[in-house]
Amino acid sequence: METYPITIGKITRHVPVVETLPGVHIPLVEIMGDVELVQAAAEGLVKHLPPETDALLTLETSPIVLAHAMSAICGKPYVVVRRKRRPYMQDPIIQEVESLTLGVSETLWLDSRMAEKLLGQNVALVFDVVSSGGTMRALEKVAQKAGANVVARLAAFHQGNSKLPVTFLSEIPILQTA
Amino acid sequence: MAVKTYPVEIAGLRRELPVVQVGPDVAVALFNMLGDTEVVERAAAALAERLPTDIDTLVTPEVKAVPLAHALSRLSGKPYVVARKTEKPYMINPVSRTVISITTGKPQLLVLDGSDIPLIKGKRVAIVDDVVSTGSTLKGLSDLISEVGGQVGAVLAVFTEGSPRDDVIALGHLPLFKPE
Repeated sequence: METYPITIGKITRHVPVVETLPGVHIPLVEIMGDVELVQAAAEGLVKHLPPETDALLTLETSPIVLAHAMSAICGKPYVVVRRKRRPYMQDPIIQEVESLTLGVSETLWLDSRMAEKLLGQNVALVFDVVSSGGTMRALEKVAQKAGANVVARLAAFHQGNSKLPVTFLSEIPILQTA
Repeated sequence: MAVKTYPVEIAGLRRELPVVQVGPDVAVALFNMLGDTEVVERAAAALAERLPTDIDTLVTPEVKAVPLAHALSRLSGKPYVVARKTEKPYMINPVSRTVISITTGKPQLLVLDGSDIPLIKGKRVAIVDDVVSTGSTLKGLSDLISEVGGQVGAVLAVFTEGSPRDDVIALGHLPLFKPE
């Protein structure tokens, strides 16, 4: 299996390379299950948190562990936006994602009980990987609907051309083959 | 509007859980650790003390218990594997099983990525979850672990719910409620 080395801080992982479209190969990063990599990313990203940050905002699934680890270091709480409606949700905030991935549409959900915690708060968006920025843009809209101010957009990895300015720790290349 | 809540203590921390209706005849005290770093870290520390020493790997179902598994893994040094709810395009030889979830009443898929199976096959595994209720997720996950050659040596949860059960190492118990 073809692999590619990715590095954050002192941690290097040789991750599998997958072909997402004919001729387009990308290193596949999965931070969930990798405690050392998550801790290294969390330590790197908390340094970029603006001092006025009140809370972290992330979404399921993989970035949850990163938000948790950052929260454990910096002491700020985090809120998780869901990708499916849960039965207990009351009056949730609903936000469509404008996805570029083969026209697959997606919806983000945030229970009103969680949204209330964000009202008037300065939030930092936390991602594991940002590529087109479409999901991050949708998360930003969730924050705005909840009455929060986005003060930072943070990601462990950046891949390709994001339309949003993002603070990240490591660039993942898109590997083209003939 | 007054919201009915149920008070709990988790490893020395007090929390008020909202009681929410999840079916025609049943309401539950909603325990959601996501975002509650203090509870996750304290619960992980308490469970780490009770984790049998012969366990090799932790396995947790997506999503709510994932930070708990992460923290428990960090504290114990044991690796953890997440059983996903959907097959992902990048998975290699995934193995899956369908269970019925109490909170949704719907069939729920549990999937192990083939690349994680070496951490389970021939190993002693502890299942880590936030709440063990009817045990349907537990049963499905246990079957899945057995299917790939692992042995479930322990089940750890923050709470058991409904009928008390002694096959789970838990920090507390939640009753079921009748809707008002």
